[in-house]
Amino acid sequence: MLSASGQDRSPSIRAVGRALPPHYASQEQLIAAFREMWATRHFNLERLEDLHRAVRVGGRHLALPLEAYPPLLTFQQRNDAWIRSATELGETVVRQALDAAELTPGEVDHVFFVTVTGIATPSIDARLANRMRFREDFKRTPLFGLGCVAGAAGVARAADYLRGFPEHTAVVIAVELCSLTLQREDLSIPNIIASGLFGDGAACAVLRGAAAPGARGPRVVASRSVFYPDTERIMGWDVVDSGFKVVLSAKVPGLVKDHIRGNVDGFLAQHGLKRGDIRHWVAHTGGPKVLEAFEEALELAPSALERSWASLREVGNLSSASVLFVLGETLESVRAQPGEWGVMMAMGPGFGAEMVLLRW
Amino acid sequence: MAERELEVMTEIHRIVTEELEWKGAVEPSQDLVRDLQLDSLGLTVLAVGLENRFRIRLSEEDAQGVRTVGDLAKLVAQRVAAPVEPIPEEALP
Repeated sequence: MLSASGQDRSPSIRAVGRALPPHYASQEQLIAAFREMWATRHFNLERLEDLHRAVRVGGRHLALPLEAYPPLLTFQQRNDAWIRSATELGETVVRQALDAAELTPGEVDHVFFVTVTGIATPSIDARLANRMRFREDFKRTPLFGLGCVAGAAGVARAADYLRGFPEHTAVVIAVELCSLTLQREDLSIPNIIASGLFGDGAACAVLRGAAAPGARGPRVVASRSVFYPDTERIMGWDVVDSGFKVVLSAKVPGLVKDHIRGNVDGFLAQHGLKRGDIRHWVAHTGGPKVLEAFEEALELAPSALERSWASLREVGNLSSASVLFVLGETLESVRAQPGEWGVMMAMGPGFGAEMVLLRW
Repeated sequence: MAERELEVMTEIHRIVTEELEWKGAVEPSQDLVRDLQLDSLGLTVLAVGLENRFRIRLSEEDAQGVRTVGDLAKLVAQRVAAPVEPIPEEALP
């Protein structure tokens, strides 16, 4: 069991803000919008519609209105739209999270900005600094490429930082606009599945070091990264002239099933814990098969991942922002008691996993 | 093997080597899952490729009797020879 002094150094998660772009489209509206494009190459459109329905997503919030996507033909056009929307949504979510944490932008010492759906230099955190007036000595860590795991990994890296600077405040901003990466001309089955699963959204977690005043919220007791060797083609992007072309293997649920139990058990054992000690599971909403794999491998009660299932159903897989949405829901809707344990977990391109041990 | 089945075999070979990056041989006796190591996504890619090339529809029920590459080639060849007729509009309620 972790020593009391070890816990004293654990940063806490003060608040998690979440924001979705305003343009909602139901799954059926999206299917109708895709049908014409699919028909240019595919014969059995019902099969493709079934693939879109099988991901159990009711609809997605989109960065732009549906009719604004077809004119975006080039990577530059899509990425310019991404920068505009990511900055807007980023500002919304940081302001919301700081308000909830009762902090101001001037109190932020370190910004971790994670994304995998667009690129910008200066990165979005710099653009937010100009809008929100972070201090001139605030530190910036933009992280591109971790994909879906970056929400959990961002929190873990921010917590690592706050152990070194326990009086500081860090924010982890995840902005993912998956709709602006869609390669409409890529009519491969992996891309069609991805176009049914991934949505747009942003989240921001505010963490404070153990020596910062007014501690509240769960503490980040520890984290653990796991890298799975030789799995580069499981998930990722092929960067092509037109942007990011999705690499998505059906082996993802199998990898989860094969590894996550050993990963979680090993991690918990380091802290004298077992799965049965964990009251709150905060799982990335990878997709129905990934959530089922988590449930099966970890032998979870049917309601353990309820918030992840609800999030998947309501907004789809928001890549790195997804696990922070589930974390925010957990913080706000669960009456966690002091001393209760939680595990946040996500997986992403590498392929790899990140686990974060929380204690209320 | 009938001419049509050979044509389907050629297409199966193309899909599994070009789209699914399979490096080995493709023979009628091979089991789709065990020998060609096709997972659910791989099987879907294969089915969609055959549907597009031969303008046919394959269903869940079709999949019940299909285990090997040869089974699949035979099914597709039969479906091409006798496509499922669409239900006449006047028969619909």
